[in-house]
Amino acid sequence: MKNRLKVLRAERDWSQAELADQLGVARQTVIALEAGKYAPSLPLAFKIGKLFSRTVEEIFTPD
Amino acid sequence: MKPVNPTQAAGRRYVVQMGLLIAAYVAVLYGSIATVNALHPVGALRYLLYLAPVVPVALVLPTIVRYFRATDDYERRLITESLAIAAAVTALLAVTYGFLETAGLPRPSAWITWFVLMGSWAVARFVVARHYQQ
Repeated sequence: MKNRLKVLRAERDWSQAELADQLGVARQTVIALEAGKYAPSLPLAFKIGKLFSRTVEEIFTPD
Repeated sequence: MKPVNPTQAAGRRYVVQMGLLIAAYVAVLYGSIATVNALHPVGALRYLLYLAPVVPVALVLPTIVRYFRATDDYERRLITESLAIAAAVTALLAVTYGFLETAGLPRPSAWITWFVLMGSWAVARFVVARHYQQ
């Protein structure tokens, strides 16, 4: 699943560790999400949307 | 004050609890061996002393379950996917060797199952993590 996580994180000048802390997940999770091979659970996807003030569809798109 | 990352907190708790359980296992194991060597017990006491190290090992189970529930969903995915692969590898090797055993190869110790499962779990976890992070 493609996503804009890396771009949104870069816009805010956050490191992967900072984003992980904001989401309450491990840094490895952010790495896997940004690699685009790992699709997050629905609760995590909504949490990411809320953090960036975007809808889930604006961040994640199917391959 | 920086908010606590629940996944990192779960990881730290897991490492501390596993460390304590490993220390308890070593202590009980050595205590058990020393008592068996000193008393040369027979019957039920002998079996109980030999089984004593299983107690701290059994406590690993709730520690893993607590960690599994407290960590994030990616880590849960890594654990379940790698464990499923490891279980399949162990089952395949067990069936394969089972046939060879029937053909005349020696019957190995039950410990081999533990080593195969844990070893294949570690390798599977490494491979699965690489798959998701590249």
